[in-house]
Amino acid sequence: MDLYKFLPKTNCKKCTPKTCMAFALALLQGKVKIEDCPPLLEPKYKKEYETLKELIGSEEGQEKELKINVDTELCDGCGICVTVCPVNARYCPPTLSGKAPDYPPDSHQLFQVKQGKCELLNIKFCRRIEAEGRERECRVCETYCPREAIKIEYV
Amino acid sequence: MKRVPCSGCSLLCDDIIVRSDGIFIDEVVGACIKGKEHFDQVTAKNRQTSPMHREGNNMKKIEWDQCYNEVTELIKKSKKPLLYGFSTVSCEAQLEGIQLAEKINGHIDSNSSICQGKVIERSKLEGLTLTTIGEVINKADLIILWGANPAESIPRLLNKTVFSRGKFRMTGREIKTLIIVDPVQTASFGVIGVRDLSLMIDPGKDIDLIRVLKDECCTADSIPSEGVAGIDTDDLKRLLLHLTGAEYGVIFMGQGLLRPKNDYETLKEFLELIEMINSKQKKGRIALITMGGHYNMTGFDHVALANYGQTGNLNFRNNQLEVTEKNTIQKISSEDFDLSIIVGTDPISHLPANLSSKLMKHPIIVIDNKKSATGEIADLFLPSAITGIECEGLAYRLDHVPIELQKIINPPNNIPSDEEILRELLKRLKDGGS
Repeated sequence: MDLYKFLPKTNCKKCTPKTCMAFALALLQGKVKIEDCPPLLEPKYKKEYETLKELIGSEEGQEKELKINVDTELCDGCGICVTVCPVNARYCPPTLSGKAPDYPPDSHQLFQVKQGKCELLNIKFCRRIEAEGRERECRVCETYCPREAIKIEYV
Repeated sequence: MKRVPCSGCSLLCDDIIVRSDGIFIDEVVGACIKGKEHFDQVTAKNRQTSPMHREGNNMKKIEWDQCYNEVTELIKKSKKPLLYGFSTVSCEAQLEGIQLAEKINGHIDSNSSICQGKVIERSKLEGLTLTTIGEVINKADLIILWGANPAESIPRLLNKTVFSRGKFRMTGREIKTLIIVDPVQTASFGVIGVRDLSLMIDPGKDIDLIRVLKDECCTADSIPSEGVAGIDTDDLKRLLLHLTGAEYGVIFMGQGLLRPKNDYETLKEFLELIEMINSKQKKGRIALITMGGHYNMTGFDHVALANYGQTGNLNFRNNQLEVTEKNTIQKISSEDFDLSIIVGTDPISHLPANLSSKLMKHPIIVIDNKKSATGEIADLFLPSAITGIECEGLAYRLDHVPIELQKIINPPNNIPSDEEILRELLKRLKDGGS
């Protein structure tokens, strides 16, 4: 909503999402850039353009690289992350019923519990990188870790 | 790579992948930190591989034959031996233990009698609705943790029950409701979602809540307006709705409900509540799983119940089972014993100081696979192989399902298993004509 305030709010239909509200949402998800809105580039909206650039710029600066930090000091190897991860569920059938996945791990497998601690194997198949739309906002491993050992960060 | 059962805790996860060359365990995949530590026990610093006896203030290594002789000497001298432990040994060893107690006219008991054994003993009157972990995975839509903290005691339990996706519960976590009843905010509260219910009950007030729930099952409009035991009316209504509306509910009962003060009454009411819900409910049922910690605690109850019709506190006189009112704790506190044989447990560090000091006054024989506080003050220490890693055996999971434990590696110094030690003792005592 903060982003919407600084848009022209004219619904001129010159951009792809057609309305200003939809444009604000798309801007938030990183699907469009500020320059995709033609009226914003006009001198009339120069002040709004700069404010928006500041707002988005600061967020874009953070959204560089996804990092999932597993604190092995806190982790007790309960394997909830292994079971609850939707990517593991798709590629490792034993995890569906709460069992440990096969070893050596599948190339798509994200988490595995080895020597009593959770290990992150392959971050590039994480839903936060691979998936589209709402699935991209997946945070189940972080949410359900009872020890709060998993932290999702952008550095 | 083969999948073996882990004997680290009472869940006995049968999906642990162990890589081993037959001598050492190289890698353990899938086990929690508790299981990993259990597998590490093979080469741990506190592992004991040779029998010891006491010489003054020190323990000194001796030969097996001498050790057996000294044990039989002590047993022959004793009139009222006490056998305690048997929760971390296989069912075969437990049976040998009971037969030994019968032979030497002892009192035998497991850790279960101060834990879940109370429920099993009580359920002879009230009845017990059982279930299995497999059924929980495939069918359960309501999981209640009452006075239990599995995130710390049995780490993989939540993973296997709440988060797993089963045949009729394909969406897994989303369709399973979790309710936690506990006086303190434990680590298990970390997995609470928006649909779940966390009830912070006042300590020791479980019985009040159970009584209100029992009344509610009959008449739906007698909820006290100020709530009960620290739980407000809205939460009570939601709890009741879940209990009576669940298709398949399961209650995991922990040590929190077994408060020594009024546990008998609480358990009676609790089992009656479950029975009442099941008789009223038309959609499904509520089952109960007791959460014992030691891996074969349930096994002793089954072995004793199957062979002697009693889950614990087996007292023998003239080689016959005798009815006794005294349980092990009362026996220790009144010093009604003159020798204690401790198998696979550590009462000196677990029991209160006044009880353990009484235990120390008489000779102690310890059969265990690792050093412990009890082993340090014992008169004789007999090391044993770890069941499930160095020898085979049968163990009962917390949901009363027998699991065959496997042998992965050879024990160091070829030390015998608990079963072999107890059988040898029994054989020597029989030969000696005691």
